[in-house]
This record gives sequence, structure tokens and C-alpha cells, in this order.
Amino acid sequence: MGRARASGDTAGGPPFAGLRVVELGGAVPSAAATKRFSDLGAEVVKVEPPGGAPLRRLRPFPEDRPGLDRGAFHLALDTGKRSLLLDLGTGSGREVLGRLAAGSDLLVSDLPAAQARRLRPRLEEGESGPSTVWITPHGLEGPFAGRRENDASLFGWSTRAFNQRLPDAPDRGPLRYAPFLAEVQVGATAAAAAAAAVWGRRQDGLRRVVDLSAVEALAGNVDSAFFLYALTGTAETYPRPADLGARTYACRDGHVLMLQVDRDPARSRVRALVGAAGSGPARGPSVEEALRSWLAARTKQEAFVSLQRAGVIAAPILDASELLSDPQATARGSYVRIPHPALGETTIAGPPFRVASGAGAPWEARPAPGPGADTAALLTELGYAPEEQIALARAGVAP
Amino acid sequence: MSSAALRGVRVIELAEVWAGPMGCTLLADLGADVVKLETFPRSSMTRPVVADARVGAGTGPPYERVNVHHHANRNKRNIAVDVRSEDGAEVLRRLIAGADLLVESFSAGTLERLGFGWEAVHAIQPRTSLISLAAWGQDGPYRGYRMFGSGLDAMVGHHLVRGHPGAPLEETAPAVHSDAAVPLTVVFAAVAALALRDRSGEGSWIDLAQVEDLAWQLPAIVGEWVASGRSPPRVANGDRDLVPHDYYPAAGGGWICVAAEDDAQWAGLAEAMGRPGLAAEPHPWASVLGRRRARAEVDAAVGAFVRDLPAAEAAERIQRHGAVAAPVLGAAGPLESPQLRARGWLRSIGHPHLGRREVGGFLWQMEPDPPTWERSAALLGEHNEEVLGELGYSAAEIARLAASGAIGDRYRAPA
Repeated sequence: MGRARASGDTAGGPPFAGLRVVELGGAVPSAAATKRFSDLGAEVVKVEPPGGAPLRRLRPFPEDRPGLDRGAFHLALDTGKRSLLLDLGTGSGREVLGRLAAGSDLLVSDLPAAQARRLRPRLEEGESGPSTVWITPHGLEGPFAGRRENDASLFGWSTRAFNQRLPDAPDRGPLRYAPFLAEVQVGATAAAAAAAAVWGRRQDGLRRVVDLSAVEALAGNVDSAFFLYALTGTAETYPRPADLGARTYACRDGHVLMLQVDRDPARSRVRALVGAAGSGPARGPSVEEALRSWLAARTKQEAFVSLQRAGVIAAPILDASELLSDPQATARGSYVRIPHPALGETTIAGPPFRVASGAGAPWEARPAPGPGADTAALLTELGYAPEEQIALARAGVAP
Repeated sequence: MSSAALRGVRVIELAEVWAGPMGCTLLADLGADVVKLETFPRSSMTRPVVADARVGAGTGPPYERVNVHHHANRNKRNIAVDVRSEDGAEVLRRLIAGADLLVESFSAGTLERLGFGWEAVHAIQPRTSLISLAAWGQDGPYRGYRMFGSGLDAMVGHHLVRGHPGAPLEETAPAVHSDAAVPLTVVFAAVAALALRDRSGEGSWIDLAQVEDLAWQLPAIVGEWVASGRSPPRVANGDRDLVPHDYYPAAGGGWICVAAEDDAQWAGLAEAMGRPGLAAEPHPWASVLGRRRARAEVDAAVGAFVRDLPAAEAAERIQRHGAVAAPVLGAAGPLESPQLRARGWLRSIGHPHLGRREVGGFLWQMEPDPPTWERSAALLGEHNEEVLGELGYSAAEIARLAASGAIGDRYRAPA
């Protein structure tokens, strides 16, 4: 749905076929944001510094051997992109970026705010350049705009680390989610705004500029503790395990998480399922005991299926090997194997959504590119003659 | 000018709790016209008829003052319809006939049983797309199973990798990340559906399995297994490569995040601590390897520095020297942020039952058409007459539907 090639050759293809996207910065947020477009047909050019994008340095690596084309985050989040090495610290590098951006529909950056501010005039000149999405920790302007943050500190700003602390063990302190999950969420937020900007421009021709503060993107979402405080004045953690009626129980081979188990209808369904004696009130402990021994005699998978069939909201707590062999994940192809030039093959998560019926939208994760894999081809496509490409290489711009 | 990126896009929301409603609020923030069709006469899970801890002080029924409802329902119109009644079903049919998108979050098969499965929706209006948010998707052996965010967290391996090393699993607090993440994907999927329709002329049925939308966000869990045959260890707030990297206790019961992402940041942090020698070669801590070998000692040195300082002040000092530092904000924390205030993120909104409140704002700023807070969470059935009027119902017909209970504007408390 790009402006440049909006019609003609894209019928029946994926929704973003023809859309041209530039990724700048190459940390988790921008990579996650542009992956969403890449997997649905857009051409994403990942502009990387000569040493490779930061995403490439994140573990885990196969056999614990690091390498710029081996990291799990790179393999999963850079799928289908093209890689262009450019030194944006030089005027020559910025000239190439300017030409690339001018022919693109969308630019998504997670460069620091100061660098973003320096690049903006060149990239947003006139009405014809790309819509831009500037992801920064605190926004492009303001007293904290120059601050450095990371995944853990953003999570701290979002009030969610506070929300994850254990009410009964306050000295354990706040707790974050898995490493980089907050930054992926920031990237997904950027992708949502970017998609709307792309659509909007197609309707009204307006080039949009999105100023996305990671703190605002996280603290403004539904799981923030702030909104509860704003409305009720309570500084409590929410939701607490008690609010969800959430309890973790041991099974024969692991654990299940059960929700709303302390209230009806789940409570009476559990009572019927585990065969607890009596049905009157105040029989809680005996139901609890019967449930525990019922669970102890079953695998978490058996317990999960029985509980769900009885209308009780439960889930097995799975590790990586188990989630790959989970019957539902296997039946739907929730994880996919994709070829990789250096590794032979790798396994990543499949589509976040699919078209069950209607005009097809083939999600496709193609291999992630090595650093600079497409530099020469892209410079040629941008119209740089061989002579100029040699000069750029000599200047250290596009080695 | 308010956001116009999705101007003209008409959305019907048939969703409860957080993921679906927040997704539709984001569509509304972007300019879409969202009609929330609220469950009736049964109240939704986030609309308690009896006040609980989530309900703010004010006038009117408790279900109009609930935090979790307000947070995910700004900028929409609200109608309350019993779609199980024939008259209510007709309202939904007319809505679908004029809609671009229908967003639903029932467990798989429920919408079909209500008579509004994909085939029916497509027959009513071929241009309408249906976005379905069932936890495990529309097919497979778990079809029809029910779940909320924290259970999905368990299914994708996230529950196991969160938490403090060595702590019992029972202590890991449930996380509801999918409730925040799925709304973002709803927006992306909505635009994808619109783009597909532009080419084909027909709507699509988008099967957005919440568990699959979580899976792609955690590449390290599957990555570690595939690469090395093991699960990632729990690291709590630490980092396997970087030292220091943790939340540390600060003065007054607060906590602060401090991290050095590289040697230069460590040098800045050591400077801020008044101990530049800790980063001067040949001090072993000048290298990440030395810091990793002495993880506990480095943590102790950082901890001692921040222990007696308020978190915001310590963060300010450390940031001035170029290292990562941030207060771990509590529930009221955003009110104290000069940055959020300077950017106008905090905003005062009015509500008939709650009065004026200062709340958090939008997930992004956009120019030239920034999102605006056109309306707070609408009251139950507040727009019954307006919306049904647009659908061609006369005042008399609307009165008849209200009298028969096909539409309504209040929930009854249990007897």
C-alpha cells in the first residue's frame, strides 16, 4: 500500500506489499516495529552503523557463540529485512540516508533524541518525504529528553515493576518482565501508530510525524498502576493475585495456574470435578485439599484439559521445550522453522494474527540479513554509480 | 484538529475486560468512530454492580466509576444491547451493515452461537472485517477454552522466566502483559484488514490468537531452547552480561533502577558515585569482565551510594554523568514527573459521576493531528438513542426496545 507503487502489481499479495520502510537505530523497539511490516510484505531497509545494529548483540546465541548474524533477537525480529550499513556520523552517510528516505513511505527510528532532532529537518523536508516515527525514552523534547534508559529502567518508569512486587514480600522489591519485553511493547506501540499514519496518508495525503515516548507508551497502557490511582486514590498494586483469584498449584510434573478459582462458578465446578464432599458454605478447605490431591495425581496437561472442559479457567505453566510441543501450538503452527543462510535453519514464533477467511494475507518470515548484506544492491537502486559507491566506501560510509 | 488518521473507519466493539476494549480505544484515539456494544442485561466483568476496590468515589452506580473500565474505554460511544433477543440481534445486524470492523473477544465459537459468526457477518456486509481475539485462536484442540492474560503468560514460557532466582513458583505474581500488547496488534491488524479490502473489495476474518501475539514478543525463550537446549534462567532484574543492572533500595522506601550498559556508562556512574577510581584502568571493574566477576561487590557499591538518596534525586545525579538510572515509580509516580507534565501527557478529564480527575494520556503524540480526549468512558447505553437513530430506528421504536429490555441503560444489582 505504498504511495510509490500503490496500484497494479500488488493485488492478492500481503497487505503491505509495495510499502517502503526505513529502520534507524536498530535497537529492540525499532526492529520490533518494522518486523510487523516486513512480515506482511513491506520492504524494510535496516540502516545499521558499520559495526552492526545493537539488536545483533543480544543473547542467546547458538552454542553460546556470539556473532552478528546469530542472536535470537536478530533472527526473530529482523526477518525479511534488507541491511544497509551507513555511518550516520558523516555528511556522506546522511546524504545516502536522505535519498533512501525520500523514496520511502515510512521511517521508524529509535536513535537517541538528540540525534533524531539533528536528522529531522533533512528527513522531513517538504510534504513528500516519509511519515516518521521517532521512538525515544522520554520523547523528543522536554527536561528528560536527553536521558538514557534501558528495558529495565523503562519498566521502572511505567509503574509496572512496582505492580509486580509481591505484596507479602516487600523486601524482594519490584520485579520486571523478561528482558526486553518492555522494549518490544514499545516497538509494537510504534507499529500501531505507524500503520495508522500509513493508512491516513493514503486517505488524506498528510505526512505524519509520531513522537513516541517509551515511558508514555508503557505508562499509558491498561496495565499501568497509575490509572487506578488517578481514579480511586489507591496506591495498591493492581491486579493482585487475589483480584484475579489466581493460584498456582503443583501437579505431578509441574504447575498449573488457575484463575477465578476462589469464586463461583469456578469454585462449584472445581468442587464437582474433584469430587469434594458436601456442597454447603464453609467447606472451602476440604475443596482445596481435594483439589490439591486431584492435581497431584495428574500431569499439568491432563489437569489443564479437564479443568477447561469443566469450564474452569486454567493453564499449564510451560517451559520452552513444552511450549514448542504444546498440542495447540503444533496444530496451528504457532512456531515456524525458517531457513537461515549461516545456521541452516532456525525456529521462531509464527504470525501474531492470520486471515482465517477472506482475501489472503500471507504472513511470511524470511531470513534475517547479515550486516550490510544489501548495501551494494541498495546503493545501486538508489542511483549511485559504481564510481560513487567506491568513493562512499573510501569515506567509510558504506563499507 | 483531532486525530484523523483513521477518520471514517467505523468500528463495533463486542469485547470485555481489557485487550479488546483498549484496542478499540486506540482505534478511536486515531480517529475511528467506535461504538461499544456493551453486554446487557448481564454486566461485564469490568462493570461490577457492587462497589469494590477498583471503584472511584463519586455519584451514580459503581459500574460507571470503575478504573479498569475507564482506562480502556475513552473516545467511544456506548450502547447496551441484549443481542440474545431478536430485537437486539437486529440492532447488531444493522450496525454490521454499516461497519468496517467488528472486534470481538469471546472464546472461539461463542459469536457463532449468537448468530454472528464470520459467515453471518460476511453475508450481512461483505466489506466488514471481523477481528477475533480468542485466547488460543479459532481452531485447534483448545478451541473454545477460556483464558485471561496471566494464563497466556504461563503458556508462552514467560511465567517461568520471571521472578527471583530460587523463589518458589507460587510466589511469581501473575502478569497481564497480553492485555497491554494485544490492543497494539488490534490496531495493526485493523489497518492490515483495511488495506486488504482496498484491493479485494471484501472484508477479512482476522484470527488474532492472543497466545500467538505473545509468542513473537519473547524470542529469547524459544531462541535459547533451539540454540542450546535449555530454558533461559530467571534473572529477576539483572542482566546476564551487564553489571551493574538492578533495582536497588533508595531512601524513604523507594527503589531505583541503575545500570551501566557499557564501560563508558560505568565510568560515568563511578564519577557520579564520587569514586572515579572504580572505572580507571587497571582497576578490574573498568572492564565488564571484572564487573561480572565481582557482581555482588559492584552491586554493594552501587547500593550503598543510592541507599540514602531519594530515588528521583539519585537518578538525576547518575543521569547527569551519562549512565542509566530511573526511579521505580509507584502508582502515583507519574504525577511527580516534570517530563510527563512538560509534554502535556497528564491531563484533566471530566466525568459526570467522578468529577474531574488527572489521568495519564495517550501512547503517542502525532502531528499534525494529535490524539485528543474527546470523551471519557461513556455511560452505559448513553448513546442508545443517538446510534439507533442513525440506524434508522424511530423514537417510538427505540422506546419499544427499551421497554422490552432489548436495550437498556442500567444494570440491576443482584437481589
